[in-house]
Amino acid sequence: MRLTRILYAIVTVIVASSLFINGLAEWKSYGLLSEDSGTEEGRSYTGYVQRIPVLSVCYILGAVGVIYLGWYHLRLTGAVTSIAALLQDDKTSGSNDGKRFLPPFRLTKINELYPALSKHFAGCTSHITEYEKKIRDLQVKIQLSKRRGENTEAIIYSIRDAVIVIDDSDRLLMANEAAGRLFNFDHNDSKLMPVSELIGPDQGEFADFLSHNRQSKGQATRKEIEFIKDGMPEIFDCIVSCVYDQDRQVCGVVAVLHDITREKQIQQMKNDFVSHVSHELKTPLASITAFTEMLADGEANDEQTRKEFYSVIQNQAQRLNRLIEDILNSSRIESGLIKINKVTASLTMLIEEQLQMIKTYAEEKKVTVIGQKPIVYDQVDVDKDMMQQVIVNLLSNAVKYTPSGGSVKIETEVDENASLVRVNVTDTGVGIPEEDIQHVFDKFYRVGANKKQAEGTGLGLNLVKQIIEKVHGGRVFVMSKVGVGSTFGFELPLATRQTVRAL
Amino acid sequence: MTGKRVLVVDDEVHIVHVVAIKLRNNGYEVISADNGAEAFELACDEKPDIIVTDYQMPVMSGLELVEKLRQRDETKDIPVIMLTARSFAISKEQQEDLRVSSCLSKPFSPKELLGNIEDVLYQKQVMVSN
Repeated sequence: MRLTRILYAIVTVIVASSLFINGLAEWKSYGLLSEDSGTEEGRSYTGYVQRIPVLSVCYILGAVGVIYLGWYHLRLTGAVTSIAALLQDDKTSGSNDGKRFLPPFRLTKINELYPALSKHFAGCTSHITEYEKKIRDLQVKIQLSKRRGENTEAIIYSIRDAVIVIDDSDRLLMANEAAGRLFNFDHNDSKLMPVSELIGPDQGEFADFLSHNRQSKGQATRKEIEFIKDGMPEIFDCIVSCVYDQDRQVCGVVAVLHDITREKQIQQMKNDFVSHVSHELKTPLASITAFTEMLADGEANDEQTRKEFYSVIQNQAQRLNRLIEDILNSSRIESGLIKINKVTASLTMLIEEQLQMIKTYAEEKKVTVIGQKPIVYDQVDVDKDMMQQVIVNLLSNAVKYTPSGGSVKIETEVDENASLVRVNVTDTGVGIPEEDIQHVFDKFYRVGANKKQAEGTGLGLNLVKQIIEKVHGGRVFVMSKVGVGSTFGFELPLATRQTVRAL
Repeated sequence: MTGKRVLVVDDEVHIVHVVAIKLRNNGYEVISADNGAEAFELACDEKPDIIVTDYQMPVMSGLELVEKLRQRDETKDIPVIMLTARSFAISKEQQEDLRVSSCLSKPFSPKELLGNIEDVLYQKQVMVSN
């Protein structure tokens, strides 16, 4: 290639030189003629003088043109050869052995390279378009991933259960607000802190559980763990699962802690309820069975004793019936299945009907029951059976928690202005601690301090509340002082006098 | 076994009443209490030959009563029969540890209770005579 270029240059120089010499020769001949300035052999000298400089200049310009073209051709072919070498270099992965920038001497090379260049540039354009599309796809994926991440965080933060995510070094990666509250740390400002430091030394069982689960690399495990919060025990159902990376290697652990303290309390209350109901049902049944057997065996020696036995059996059967009614009515009212049969009746009369039965029970306990003063007008629209149950429950409850020698007083008062009647049952019993008062109408709730005082199901007062408030639209209330006694009562709207006259 | 003194403990007056009648009709002397604390005092003072107690009672339960009885020299050997409305109120281990002679589940038969009392007192008599 180099030789070709040298030859090309020599030819160019020769052609250019000959043209230049011709030009000079013409110029010279013009100079000679001009010295004689006139006509010779019939020729017009003036026209000759005018022609000779033009031809000379043409020769000289031709020489310059040839030199320029030669130079330009060399430059052009050199550039094309460089491009060709580059393209060749791309194909052969750089094996150009030092000939990459040697230019060819033929201009026709461009024509030969044009299709390849066009194809290559078209391929490049196609690749660029493809890469642009991939970049756009990646940008979309990044945005989606970012949004998914934000959504996931938002979901985790909004979960009421505590959620903690730790890495493979037991450091905190993520925790929601509930977790922060449970373990008393700032969930936004505790990332990468050792989890054992965050949850504190008292919760070592939980830290061990997390660590053990991560190390075991097993499936999700759950455990009930008790935490002490503000000095009070709280039970959590802890579910811990390993977090795996793309290579299925454990890279952390996620723990979800669900507070089951309330469920446990309810479960305990239900267990206590079943236990108490069993006891409460069996107690009158035991009396009925025993007295029936005594009668059958002729152990009642005289008529009076036999009558006494029959009376006990009857009372205990009624007691059993009341208890069953309490349980059933409570369930029916809650499910809305109970049939309500309201009539207009006097509360005084309803109380009077129940007083005798309660007095028998109170006498056994040596508790005095004081009735009410006469009331002028105390008509209410009530379901009589349910209202009797309310009165019996309130009175028997008062007697139950009143020690021997104490008293229970029931009275009604009418508030004409508010158009309601109020019933108060006041005892001189053990009283209720302040912290228990707000719960005494809760289902299955029994005042801790009074559990030993008397048996019970924790159902009676709840039933009173349901009957008064849900069925009759009234209100229950309680006032109590430990060691002094309690007043339980309720208010009901008075029936309109027109209703009474109509009946 | 006539003339033996039985302490009957139950917060249900009807149960105390029916057991007392059954025992008195069969020659026993009956004293009664309506809770564990009162029964313990009576046991210390009256030294009954046998105690029949309910398991679940206000103030002091039947179980607590037996535990206290076993801690005092003058009451530690008094046989106890327990009445309970709960089937699993007292375990076999507890029964053996506290030397509860037998447990009867409510509702119970007064006749069966009398039979239990007689058996326990007989065994006690045999042991003393040996």
